[in-house]
Amino acid sequence: MLEVQNLSIEYTTEDGVLKAVDDVSFNLDRGESLGIVGESGCGKTTVAKALLRLLPENGAISGGSVLFHGEDLVNKSPDEMRRIRHRKIALVSQSAMNSLNPVYSVGHQIREGILAHSDIGRQAANARCVEVFGMVGLEEKRLSSYPHQLSGGMKQRAIIAMALSLEPDIIVADEPTTALDVVVQGRILQRIRAIQKQISTSMIFITHDISVVSEICETIIVMYGGKIMEQADSASFFRAPYHPYSLGLQNAFPSITDTAGEELVSIPGTPPNLMQQQPGCRFRERCPFATDQCRSQTPPLVKVKSNHHAACWYTDQVDDFRTRARDRDTWEAVRTRIEQQEAPQQ
Amino acid sequence: MLAYIVKRLLIMIVMLLLVATMIFLMFRTMPGDPTASMVDPSIPREARQALLERYGLHESLWIQYRIFMRDLVQLDFGNSYFYNRTVLRVIGDRLPATLILMLTAMLFAYTFGVLWGAWMAWNRGSRLESVGVTFSLVFRSAPTFWVGLMAIMLFSVTLGWFPAQGMRTTGYVGDSFAEVFLNHDFVRHLILPAFVAGLYFLATPLLIMRNSMLEVMSEDYIEMARAKGLRDRRVLYKHAARNALLPVVTAGALFIGAAIGGQVLIEVVFSWPGLGREIVQAVTRSDYPLAQGIFIIISALVMFMNLVADVLYALLDPRIAYR
Repeated sequence: MLEVQNLSIEYTTEDGVLKAVDDVSFNLDRGESLGIVGESGCGKTTVAKALLRLLPENGAISGGSVLFHGEDLVNKSPDEMRRIRHRKIALVSQSAMNSLNPVYSVGHQIREGILAHSDIGRQAANARCVEVFGMVGLEEKRLSSYPHQLSGGMKQRAIIAMALSLEPDIIVADEPTTALDVVVQGRILQRIRAIQKQISTSMIFITHDISVVSEICETIIVMYGGKIMEQADSASFFRAPYHPYSLGLQNAFPSITDTAGEELVSIPGTPPNLMQQQPGCRFRERCPFATDQCRSQTPPLVKVKSNHHAACWYTDQVDDFRTRARDRDTWEAVRTRIEQQEAPQQ
Repeated sequence: MLAYIVKRLLIMIVMLLLVATMIFLMFRTMPGDPTASMVDPSIPREARQALLERYGLHESLWIQYRIFMRDLVQLDFGNSYFYNRTVLRVIGDRLPATLILMLTAMLFAYTFGVLWGAWMAWNRGSRLESVGVTFSLVFRSAPTFWVGLMAIMLFSVTLGWFPAQGMRTTGYVGDSFAEVFLNHDFVRHLILPAFVAGLYFLATPLLIMRNSMLEVMSEDYIEMARAKGLRDRRVLYKHAARNALLPVVTAGALFIGAAIGGQVLIEVVFSWPGLGREIVQAVTRSDYPLAQGIFIIISALVMFMNLVADVLYALLDPRIAYR
């Protein structure tokens, strides 16, 4: 249904051009739920905005295509794009707290979205509002509440209700639960999942929290520095990731299945500066296994299993990597390496 | 809400009495002789004394003050020394002229300023934006009497489109409010001064709206509104402008209060018989009752508009509730 092919996105800044997304491709089928994971600044939100063509003014799609039902969204006129937003591709935005207009009631805002795309009339639109509010578990009387009268979890559910109101083909959820506490987050995730199955809509779930993806997504894409590092079936990925970055991510998040009391290990260093276009793997600076080849040549995304791809030159050595990645010292060595590199510059 | 308004009105009354006291003292301590404007300064001392006694000006300050306050609470502002008519009548004659002029100018400035300001923020960096900022600031900074004179030169003298001065053609006498103000002749006289005053007022709503829009436009709910597939115009006016309007409304309501005092320069340049001109004359003539009356009325209006601003704010922004 949705085919993203070789998508590249650039931001023009005062210091030059920043390539925020580089050569990203993926497919999304009807009813499928895809998780895009990565650190802040890895380009995941940019991908989400590009799908809706809501990039900020200094951002532009510099290459590739976004085929939606076979039509390229990149070439759509603003008005054609406007008709696709919300009705076909709906957004559940990053900051639910601030995504509702403070001067209109929640019901008004949901109804407005419905009426922008159909002429069913206020009555029917109101009925639909009640219906979607029911789906996300909010009381009907809350429709007349203003955003400031609702709790964070309620606002988030109201936004989800809004996204559902026209039964879109795709829901793009950009960090929808980041601002919520863990308990509320869990409840909302379950609800999203249930509704998504119920109305068989597809979903792109963008998050920095890899454990969220394991709960609700069938497919996972790990992004780093604007590129896809690993792309796989969730089950396969969580059983055995291939990319050293994914191995590092696994260490950095607590897992319920792992032995309790295990220490979390973070990946040392910071994401790369995307202003400087250099050849080689984006992750090389922080990768414990980087070689000269990683510095000079960009690894392609290669198939390692069915439904499992990784962008690493050494996918054949993954067993060795996995063992070493579990060792805290492996990552400490990277920290020392980065510190040594930075020292002379200061 | 209602309780809040009542409370505010009561506070207003107390404040007005304080303001009245200050105004009373201010005029008595000011140099100048109130009898000078009523009679020839060279009249005999006895006649002058008689005049002072007639107006009670020979009494001590305290007694004068008590009489003044006693009358004031009965809304009796006394008689103007100069016109020999009650102050309320004099103000009543002048206030509508000023109100109509100022409200027209404000309507022009705010309608135009708000819409253009919103548009400017939406099309940031466009040529029309820099034109707007420059244009409004030029007219804000230029002396209004100069702009007024230039406008008269261009539109009255050269083009002959509008009359140069006054509120109506000489010789016209109307009895009722409608006859005086609701006619073609009056509107023709109104356009030029209202336009010049409006140009002067324009910068405030325009720039506040623009800045506040720029702030609002980076809010997440604007992106959300666009993600909902709303038309640009709806996002701009229904979502962005609606929120950006809040500071403009406050500025506007306070501004009305201040504008009622009249733009003295404009009234003088266009010989507009408004309150602004009257107040200057009353002060120079030491016409205590009239000057006091006008100042108190203006204070009351400023306070009242403050209240209106607060109430409007609550109506526009559901997050604000008064108790």
